[in-house]
Amino acid sequence: MVGVAEEAELNRLENQVDNGGGGAWEYLTLVRKLKLRRSEKVLKHGLAILDDPKSRSKLGTEEWTLYEQVAIAAMDCQSLDVAKDCIKTLSKRFPGSNRVGRLEAMLLEAKGSWSDAEKAYTRLLEDSPLDQVIHKRRVAMAKAQGNISGAVECLNKYLEIFMADHDAWRELGEIYVSLQMCDTMYKQAAFCYEELILCQPTVPLYHLAYAEASEIILSSLGDCQYFIIFALYKLQVLYTLGGLENLITAKKYYASTIDLTGGKNTRALFGICLCSHAISQLAKGRSKEEKEGLELQSLAAQALVKDHKQKAPTKLPLVSSMLKNMKLLS
Amino acid sequence: MGGEVKFQLGQNPYIKLVLHALKHRVSSVNGILIGRLDDASSTVDIVDAVPLSHSQIGLLPTLEIALIQVEELFSADGLSVVGYFHANERYDDAELGKIAKKIGDHISRYFPQPAVLLLDNKKFEALCKGIHREPVVQLYTKDASKGWRQAGIDASVQLTLKEPSANTVLSDFIATEKYEEIVDFDDYLDDISKDWLNPRLFK
Repeated sequence: MVGVAEEAELNRLENQVDNGGGGAWEYLTLVRKLKLRRSEKVLKHGLAILDDPKSRSKLGTEEWTLYEQVAIAAMDCQSLDVAKDCIKTLSKRFPGSNRVGRLEAMLLEAKGSWSDAEKAYTRLLEDSPLDQVIHKRRVAMAKAQGNISGAVECLNKYLEIFMADHDAWRELGEIYVSLQMCDTMYKQAAFCYEELILCQPTVPLYHLAYAEASEIILSSLGDCQYFIIFALYKLQVLYTLGGLENLITAKKYYASTIDLTGGKNTRALFGICLCSHAISQLAKGRSKEEKEGLELQSLAAQALVKDHKQKAPTKLPLVSSMLKNMKLLS
Repeated sequence: MGGEVKFQLGQNPYIKLVLHALKHRVSSVNGILIGRLDDASSTVDIVDAVPLSHSQIGLLPTLEIALIQVEELFSADGLSVVGYFHANERYDDAELGKIAKKIGDHISRYFPQPAVLLLDNKKFEALCKGIHREPVVQLYTKDASKGWRQAGIDASVQLTLKEPSANTVLSDFIATEKYEEIVDFDDYLDDISKDWLNPRLFK
C-alpha cells in the first residue's frame, strides 16, 4: 500500500528522472522499497546506470541489487536478452546462489517454459522451503497459464504457512471475485477479508461482527490504511451479493470506514448512499430499517456535495441530481 | 425493428477504450459505451465511452454509481448507455468471461440490444506492429436464448469503425504515450478532481 506522501515523492522523482534531472538511483530504490511494478521505467533508468561504468561503480555493493531489479523489470517487459545478461553477471559474482537460481527460474517462466520453471522452483524450494517469493511465483505461473483452480490451490496452501501475508489474502479474494459474480465464491471472498482484518498486526483489532458493531480504538489514520482498504472491499462484496441483511451489514461497514477516514473517503460516502437507497427499496414498509441511520446518509450526501463544490464543480450538478433522486438530499 | 442491429464505433470512444486498456496493462479494464439507436437504419451509433475500472472489476458499487451519473449526463443530449467494453487481464485469454457477461446482462436492462466489445489482444498486437485493418475488438451481442454470441463471419458488417482512419489515429496516440492521461471512474473515486470525461484527451 502506498501512502499519499510516498506516492507524491515517487511521482516527483519519476518526473525528475524522466526529464534528465538525475536521481535515478533514489527513484529505483523507492520503487524497490514500495514494491511497485514500474518495469518500463526501471528497465530504462536502471540499464542507463548499469551501462555506464562510472555510475555503476558509485553504487558499490548495491550494484548487485540493481542487476536483480533490472533483470526482473526486463523480464516483465519481455526484454529477455537484457535479463539473461544481468543474471549471467550475477551468477558469475555469486556462483551457486539460490537467489540467482530464483532469477534463472523466473527467466524460464518469462520464456513460457512452464515445466522447466516448475522443476527449477521445486528444486529451489527443497533448499529454501520458506522462500515466500518462490511460493508466490508458482501461484503466478498457474494463473498465467489460465489454471485458476491450480492458482487457488497453491495460494491456499501458501496461506496455511504464511497466514499474515495480506497481499496473498487480497489476491485470493480477488481471484474468487473474478471467478463469478453473486454466488458462494463471494462469501468465501468476504471470509478472506475477515481473516485479513484479524491478521493486521499493528492495527488495533476492530470487531465488527455481522450482527453488531463495536468501538474502534484508533491511534492514527496511517495504521488503519490496510483496514480501510479491505473493509471497503468487503462491503463492496456484500453490496454486490445483495439482499437486505447484507446491505445492512455493508452499510455498517461503510459507516465505520467513514468514521476511520474522517468522512473523506469518496467510495465510503457514495457507498452509504447506494446502500441506503437499496435498503429503502427493499425494506419498503419495514420502517425500522428505513429509519436507521437517516442522519448518517443525509450527512454523507451533504459531504459529497460539499467535496464536489470544492474539488469537482463541473460534476456537482450531476452528483446533486443523483442524490436528490435517491431522496438523500432535499 | 426487423433484422439484426448493426453497430458503428466512433473514433473517440474506440481510442479511449484501447488507451485505457494500455494504461493498465497488467489488469482487466472495462468501460461503458454511449450512443443512440437510429431506428431507420437499425444502427447503433457509438459516439462516446467512459472508462470505468481497472481493479476489483466484479463489484457492483462503482458500476452502479457510474451508470447513474452517465445516464443522467448523456440523456440531455439524447444519448444513452448502449454497451460495455472489457479487456481481459491475460494476453491469451480471448473469452468473454463471466463478469463481462454479467455486466453485459446488467446493461441490457438499460438498453435491450447492447454491444459488448472485448479487446482482441492478437489483433491489437498486429496493430502495434503496423498492420492496420480491422477494429481491435470482438463484438458480442445477445442472442434469442439470452446468451452472448460472438459476431462471426458477418462481424465486419455488424461492427464497423465510423472513421476509416481510426486505427491510424490510435497508433499515433499510442506512440505519443497518450494512454498515461486516461482517467477512469476508479481514478475519480480515489480523487474526485479527476475527470472521467477525459475532456482534454482529444484537444
